[in-house]
Amino acid sequence: MTGMPARARERPSLVERVERVGGAVMRGLVVLALVYLLLPIVVLVATSFTATDFLVFPPRGISLRWYATFVNTPGWLESFRLSLAVAAATTVLTPLIGVPAALVLSRDTFPGRQLLASLLLSPLVLPQVVLGVGLLQYLTLIGLARTFWAILVGHVVLAMPYMIRSVMATLAGVDPALEEAAADLGASPPVTFFTVTLPLIKPGVIAGALFAFVISWTNVEVTMFFTTSLLNPLPVNIMNYIAYNVDPLVAAISATSVYVSLVFLLLIDATVGLDRFAETRPR
Amino acid sequence: MTSDRSAADPTPPDEAAPGERPRAVRRRGRVILQLLLPALVVVGVFLVPPVLSILAGSVLQEKQELSAPNLRNYLRFVADAYYLRTLAFTLKVSLVTTLWALVLGYLIAFHLVRSIRSPFLRRVIYLIVVAPLFTSAIVRSFGWMVSLGNAGFINRTLLGLGIIDSPIRLIFNETGIVIGLTHILLPFMVLSIASVLQGIDQTLEEAAMDLGASRAVTFLTVTLPLSLPGVVAGSLIVFTLAMSSYVTPAVLSGGRLKVVPMLIYEQYVSVFDWGFGAAMSIVLLALTLAITVLYTRLLRTV
Repeated sequence: MTGMPARARERPSLVERVERVGGAVMRGLVVLALVYLLLPIVVLVATSFTATDFLVFPPRGISLRWYATFVNTPGWLESFRLSLAVAAATTVLTPLIGVPAALVLSRDTFPGRQLLASLLLSPLVLPQVVLGVGLLQYLTLIGLARTFWAILVGHVVLAMPYMIRSVMATLAGVDPALEEAAADLGASPPVTFFTVTLPLIKPGVIAGALFAFVISWTNVEVTMFFTTSLLNPLPVNIMNYIAYNVDPLVAAISATSVYVSLVFLLLIDATVGLDRFAETRPR
Repeated sequence: MTSDRSAADPTPPDEAAPGERPRAVRRRGRVILQLLLPALVVVGVFLVPPVLSILAGSVLQEKQELSAPNLRNYLRFVADAYYLRTLAFTLKVSLVTTLWALVLGYLIAFHLVRSIRSPFLRRVIYLIVVAPLFTSAIVRSFGWMVSLGNAGFINRTLLGLGIIDSPIRLIFNETGIVIGLTHILLPFMVLSIASVLQGIDQTLEEAAMDLGASRAVTFLTVTLPLSLPGVVAGSLIVFTLAMSSYVTPAVLSGGRLKVVPMLIYEQYVSVFDWGFGAAMSIVLLALTLAITVLYTRLLRTV
């Protein structure tokens, strides 16, 4: 009868103690893993503020001198502008291609639909270096290699499947009856799309477009096949530079690239929420 | 005739008027085609032809010259111990990376889904996990370059704490590549395991505990088997992405070790033997696809 209080006073069993210690160890490991995830980015950003002529972490002194050098170096600034331009163009083009395709793939059945879906999503599993050399080989034939357009095409191909998946995931939660109701009330298909469907799938479109920007902004492995000394997007320029020089200047430039990425990370979190974004992300 | 169109006729109303439906179907077909057009152009002009041109180049090109179709580029790859060693090294690094990502990824995913109650903390952890996906591989590899050197802050910290007596080599070797690759690919593992863990019915675990299983036994016999699809999917993503990574191995090996994507880049950009580079690209692509197919088969039998 008095079993419960008596048990409560008992010393915890061996299993319980092992589990408690194990739990603490696990929590410690999780914290370490999270530190590992943040480490290179934090170190990079911190070193970029050093006042010294060489890279050092923790930085000595706090100074913006290397950011000033970055802004005053014409080659770097052009790289920065070029990357922004390609990323902006990718952000505009990708929804125009991906949203209609996602609509069809989610709402229509026709022969070959599955095959088409795999084809449209295939850039997700295609090694980027392979896409890069394929485009180089092919665009050389038609005279477009090493142009702005070559880089843009590569980035759009990479971003398209993410856009399609993001919109399809959102469409899965939209009741087709809403669109049918609009059609029954006399709305033409384009009117139905712009007044009913688009507002409902907006989060998916926004997440896809913002991520398209990030894919373009950070890409090296496709871009690197089309660069020249005059056509040198920021990440590729950074890669070529650190092969020979490692200094606080390139830390400041890399950190600036991180700030732009961070803005987009926070934008996605503010508009659709990161956990919802994450659900559509893994392949 | 009129008796055929009686109320008892089982044909649905829209097939009652012949000619009406095919026209509607045809109109919808045209709309589908119009909606798909931009994506079809991207795939048909900028995805399929490039891949086909590598395939063609691998059998038709020697150096930059055209030749009769032959398999010499492939034979050259298979016959040379250096290339096979590089392929084996690429596979090894990818495997080790996948194992590390699996251990760390499962830990993070499990805690994210099961232990973190505060929505704020959960959001912060999500932010930390997803943030690396938003920064360039080159930027992260550079961050590791600064941290991992002999005089880098990790070695200095370990020396200062008395854990090591002399600096350990963490960069320009296999260790450096694995540290960098695991870092880049860990988010994919966490997200894919977390999404499966989230869908597991927790009453199953409660039932096991009610029946007297300890927490560890419950995890090993209930939770872990149920989360296997996430583990398999995550490992597949991480392994194939590791196999095809260029930036991280190129930066963190300091050029002293090579992986297959680095060989491909060299052939196209500095050696200018496009035919051989194309053959290596096809080998990499075929291997990646084979692993994907094998794994999905495996997934179906799990």
